[in-house]
Amino acid sequence: MQSDVAFLSLTVFLPALGALLLAFFPKDKPDAIKLASLAITVAVFAMTVSMLMGGDSARFKAGEAALQSAFSVDWIPSFNIYYFMGLDGISLPLVVLTSFTSMVAMGASWPIQKHVKAYCILFLLLETGMLGVFLALDFFLFYVFWEVMLLPMYFLIGVWGGPRREYAAIKFFLYTLLGSVLMLIAILMLYFNSDVRKLTPAQLETARIVLPGDAKSVDAIKSEKNAVHTFNIMALQSLGQTTDQFDREILFGKSIQWWSFVLLFIGFAVKVPSVPVHTWLPDAHVEAPTPISMILAGVLLKMGGYGIIRICYPICPDAGYDLAWFVCTLGVVSMVYGAFAALAQKDFKRLVAYSSVSHMGYVVLGIGVWSMSAGNGYNAAYMAQGWNGAMFQMIAHGISSAGMFFMVGVVYDRVHHRNLDEFGGLFARMPVYSGLAYVVFFAGLGLPGLCGFIGEVFVTLSVWNYSKTLAVISAAVVVLTAAYILWTLQRVYLGPEYKGPHGDHLHDMDLREKFIAAPLVAFAILFGVNPNLIFKYMEPTVTQSVEQLATWTENVKEPRLEAARAKEAKEAEAAAKHAAAAIVPADAAPVEGRQVRPAADHVSAR
Amino acid sequence: MDLDVLLPKLLCIAWLLPLASFTLIVFFGPRMGKKGILASYVAAGAIVTSFILSLIAFVSWIGANGVAAPGGHHGDEHAAVSPLPVDASNSPSPMRLASLADTHAADSHGHDEHAVHEVHKPVAYTGTWYTLGQFGDLKITISYYIDALTVCMFTMVTLIASCIHFYAIGYMHDELHDITDTQVLVTKGYRGHGHGHAGHGHGAHDAHAHAHDDAEHDDHGHGHSDLPPPPAGYDYLHRPGRFHRFFQYLSLFCFSMLGLVIAGNIAMVFVFWELVGVCSYFLIGFYIERKSASNAANKAFIVNRVGDFGMIIGLMALWGSLGTFAFGDVDGQQGLFSQVRNSAHNYELRTPDGMVLQAASDEIARGVEPTAKQIETWRSEKLGYWLLVIAGLGIFCGCVGKSAQFPLHVWLPDAMEGPTPVSALVHSATMVAAGVYLVGRFYPMFTPEVLLVIAYIGLITLFIAATIAITASDIKRVLAYSTVSQLGYMMLALGIGGWSAGLFHLITHAFFKSLLFMCSGSVIHACHTNDMFRMGGLRKKMPWTAYTMLAGCLAIIGTPLFSGFYSKDAIVAQAVMFTKQNPAHGILLYGFAGGAAMTAFYMFRLWYMTFSGKPRDHHVYDHAHESPKVMYVPLVILSVFAVSVGWTMPFFGLSLTNLLEQARPAGEIGTGVLLPALSYPAEYLSHAPSVHLIATLIASATAAGGFLLATLFYGVHKLDAADVKRQFNPIYYFLVHKWYFDELYNFIFIKPLFFVSSIISKIDKNLIDVFIDKLAVGVKALSRVDDAIDRYVVDGFVNVIGNWTYSAGRSLKAVQTGKLRQYVMFIVVGTVALTVIMQWALAAE
Repeated sequence: MQSDVAFLSLTVFLPALGALLLAFFPKDKPDAIKLASLAITVAVFAMTVSMLMGGDSARFKAGEAALQSAFSVDWIPSFNIYYFMGLDGISLPLVVLTSFTSMVAMGASWPIQKHVKAYCILFLLLETGMLGVFLALDFFLFYVFWEVMLLPMYFLIGVWGGPRREYAAIKFFLYTLLGSVLMLIAILMLYFNSDVRKLTPAQLETARIVLPGDAKSVDAIKSEKNAVHTFNIMALQSLGQTTDQFDREILFGKSIQWWSFVLLFIGFAVKVPSVPVHTWLPDAHVEAPTPISMILAGVLLKMGGYGIIRICYPICPDAGYDLAWFVCTLGVVSMVYGAFAALAQKDFKRLVAYSSVSHMGYVVLGIGVWSMSAGNGYNAAYMAQGWNGAMFQMIAHGISSAGMFFMVGVVYDRVHHRNLDEFGGLFARMPVYSGLAYVVFFAGLGLPGLCGFIGEVFVTLSVWNYSKTLAVISAAVVVLTAAYILWTLQRVYLGPEYKGPHGDHLHDMDLREKFIAAPLVAFAILFGVNPNLIFKYMEPTVTQSVEQLATWTENVKEPRLEAARAKEAKEAEAAAKHAAAAIVPADAAPVEGRQVRPAADHVSAR
Repeated sequence: MDLDVLLPKLLCIAWLLPLASFTLIVFFGPRMGKKGILASYVAAGAIVTSFILSLIAFVSWIGANGVAAPGGHHGDEHAAVSPLPVDASNSPSPMRLASLADTHAADSHGHDEHAVHEVHKPVAYTGTWYTLGQFGDLKITISYYIDALTVCMFTMVTLIASCIHFYAIGYMHDELHDITDTQVLVTKGYRGHGHGHAGHGHGAHDAHAHAHDDAEHDDHGHGHSDLPPPPAGYDYLHRPGRFHRFFQYLSLFCFSMLGLVIAGNIAMVFVFWELVGVCSYFLIGFYIERKSASNAANKAFIVNRVGDFGMIIGLMALWGSLGTFAFGDVDGQQGLFSQVRNSAHNYELRTPDGMVLQAASDEIARGVEPTAKQIETWRSEKLGYWLLVIAGLGIFCGCVGKSAQFPLHVWLPDAMEGPTPVSALVHSATMVAAGVYLVGRFYPMFTPEVLLVIAYIGLITLFIAATIAITASDIKRVLAYSTVSQLGYMMLALGIGGWSAGLFHLITHAFFKSLLFMCSGSVIHACHTNDMFRMGGLRKKMPWTAYTMLAGCLAIIGTPLFSGFYSKDAIVAQAVMFTKQNPAHGILLYGFAGGAAMTAFYMFRLWYMTFSGKPRDHHVYDHAHESPKVMYVPLVILSVFAVSVGWTMPFFGLSLTNLLEQARPAGEIGTGVLLPALSYPAEYLSHAPSVHLIATLIASATAAGGFLLATLFYGVHKLDAADVKRQFNPIYYFLVHKWYFDELYNFIFIKPLFFVSSIISKIDKNLIDVFIDKLAVGVKALSRVDDAIDRYVVDGFVNVIGNWTYSAGRSLKAVQTGKLRQYVMFIVVGTVALTVIMQWALAAE
């Protein structure tokens, strides 16, 4: 455990330490500063990858569902706040993605000339924040990292951005702040209603509240007189799924978990972003410098999806079940809306930004699908497929969208405009660049053999059993996606002649740019051909989470629904009797009549 | 080695070789020999090796499974069985017994190769290569399903692809040099490729922009002086050649196409479906500088995606209810086919349990126990049958897109923007036939209702396309519409129960249509124009091309002894049987016959206009020349196959139909559930001599009619085409404008699409963002109010109090006199006053 503490902490805080170190660098050596920052991001990437190395002795073993390398250290014990971190199949791929994207984005930061030192320091702080969000398992710690990441992002857009950077930065900040405020309310609601005493010893161990076999501590907790609150995400998950701790009604007849779910979900939906809280994204992307766009699309958006998978559903399953239709609809609306909006864009980067809205809609849809019920014999496999597909889509989108923004950045660096009507003919002028860009854009289009396909198709296939309407609409998006991507490619790369300004600057990619593009393209192909490279780490945990929810559905939710149905039927029967007694004309009570019929069928069928 | 080990290995290598060639060319293409010439040898080597491997597979298949159709041959039986299939299907058992004893060799009958009426399961080898993802028992894999159809398709695809690779080495020869593309104008002095070549002498042959197709053939060297200068301020595009890139795409295409054929599950089919689509996109758009080419490429891909949208729905319906995509049974898990048709029920079509259960999910949720008996009850109530229909229609939607069937046929004619070898390979022989192949492959899953839809779509397509082909003047477009029309035939054949007839036609068509396209390419190569009205009399200039093309034309119209005759004959026979049994659908036969007549007409119109008579344009004629050997040898090879592929080989008894029969899906199509009147005759019944006689008569008469008419118009000029054109002016323009489909789709789909997208973009800009901005302004205003309250109310209050205190203090200052006596007096007065007040207050209480 000691080594875990050291290793994970170092992974998270190495960039921050680096930032501290950079503060002492002389300001007039921008290249040295960039190199040092790149070295740090490379080191972090190496560390995250090294966690997978070493076979059985690896820090993170493939095929295991449980938390690995987890540790929990006192931080603010009086409020039960712990420095609790760990890896599992949900966080690990995102951690690696983060370190990878940061590394590539740092490489893409070379054209930055303004205040290089400040830029690199903020960049590294941002990386610490992002890694922390994915590794933290204490809600309070999570929130702290969430906010830590926000500020550097604000400055990176607001200082190094395009002409409307301040507007975009403030918009980004306010949107995200709204999300985090709502999240904070939910966190506190959950905290003050949690009670660790209700957990079994095994659950306490999983949550790292007690050490394995530490019966004394368990007794100590159990013998507490007052409720022992917790910020521990694992403990909150167990509480949400195995106790009725969060079922108390608080407002408008809705329970604590319903409200927590809604507040948390809004917070995460802003980040994803889902329609209608997405408008910060196009502005932020258009104004942000290329590497920051890559980070934004590659990592920041994933935090929304991560939050929903890690927090919303496992802690508030009841609300999740009841609101599945809302989440799924939101996902599909985002997919369609983003695709349509992308079709209308004239700005290359804005178009890519809207494609992100559309693609992240798949993530929300895949997570929202709750395709198990009595009707399909509690077959959770489809839900597992949806979740795995959504998780895969996050990774795939991380690669393809970072790639797309990089490709836009490459050409923007040369000609300083992004007007889609003023491109054309790039294929002839920049063949290597265009070839690589084609791969990346086709990955975004969801072409089989490239990473975008797997996530999209797994998500889409999982929806049918939940809702056929949504499934059909989500399938239709493939046409729109093809339309806007192909049309863009035609306008930018094909044709005889480049039509915009600065045509003489259109030289092909240099070595640095090739080094950035090559891994993105390679991963896009690799993950598309062999998705198991990701699934083998991810799938056990994701499936385990789904199975826990499945157990909960079968054991807790179905009886509840059954009881509600029975009650309804009884009431309806009573009402019908009442109506009959009062000799009301038959057509006066059509509503009751409709309700009674299925119940009667039900009885006779038995 | 056993066949179940050998075949997957052979075909896997045959499948992956083109991929290896693609990868090599991607990385080393431009460095492969002079200007990348070696790239073509790498690609051709790969595909020829694939062909050899496929041939070995083909031979070893025959070695293991024989050449006879399973169940033997029953020519004798047919005479005994009433031609009315109702009787026959009612008494299957005696025939099955008879079939066991039957030892007739298939080759003893020329006209009537085979018959199968025994219920048997086709031999197929299945297995998994690797898994893309697994969740519980749901598994998406890369797997294979190899039966006689797979082996035949492999051999056909690799053979044609090999021929086309060699042909393309000749055809794409120009791409080895720098090229001047007279179809593309660039601003004068534009340096497109850093070469700075723009603006010097151009080697092209005439001013007609549209006349210049495909490669700019500079066989005569650069610098023709008879080229008119480009419009003022413009230059013709000058660019480096892209020889290696062409072969790179071609290799990727071969890989994708073979993957599609070998696929063992429908998801894998979808994967390669998309991949052939993207190869087609690249190849259509090969001349990336031409706007028309990139438009056509986009159109092809997007229209195909519309079909794929339907296909995804089909996939979802299957996946959601059955939880598998596999065709055959793999590793003990039931595949799709055996879930729908299993041996326990004599391979009759039954709604699978999974679909029944899904359709009944509401009832199960209400607590009805899904016992086996209950499932039977539900099944008999047709529960879940509509899921099977949706799955079938959905998959067929994909086929409609890929095989350019109505209403998604619009992309294929435009796809002729690609180089001609591509049209021959991708857009006639292989990829567009993939839709037909998939219908054949997926046949056990189709309900009679779905098949009827397929038949009618095929009929509509073949009719529309044939009418348009009659008026087209571009030689490649005629062939493109002919392809669409022929694909319609195949769909129609499959839709009326002619499984082997449809697939047989798929293979014969692949040979003669690729031959026709390559011949047209040879003509274009010689004439530098696509316009048939500027050709004529070329027979003398290019005899190889002319006579191989004649063979192709004779094959396509179904001349006896040519391959097309056998396959068309089989289709007509099935149509006769089908309409006899379902008189309500008689139009399927009449439409078919009409289409056959039109085919003969427009094919010979093409041939006469190109090769016979007097040259219409002497400039074109004078420059025309026979193509080089590397181009016409493949033509000869293909024409041999185009003639003979329908034959039954003497001595071996090998015939394509018998081989296909080995893959025939088990079980009868049966009668419709939703349309009880619809019933399908078994295909073997159409081999009865009585039926065949009618069929042969119909097919020959219609073909002869069309041929004669074409001869009268264009061969001997007894009739004047221009006169007819004048008399039927409205119809003529309707056809020339391709039934106005493009205009219609533009109006009902594309315009609304962009309208909606602009609306949505405006919602973002003018609604959500304005709301957010207004909100920000509001918050700002609120904070100003807050500030004012702070400043004037809260602070004001505090200030007022402060001021009061201050002024009170100030006024009290006057009292601070410092005189002791005065103070004592204040104290006394104060005390007295206090006492009085307290007294008063207490008293009041």
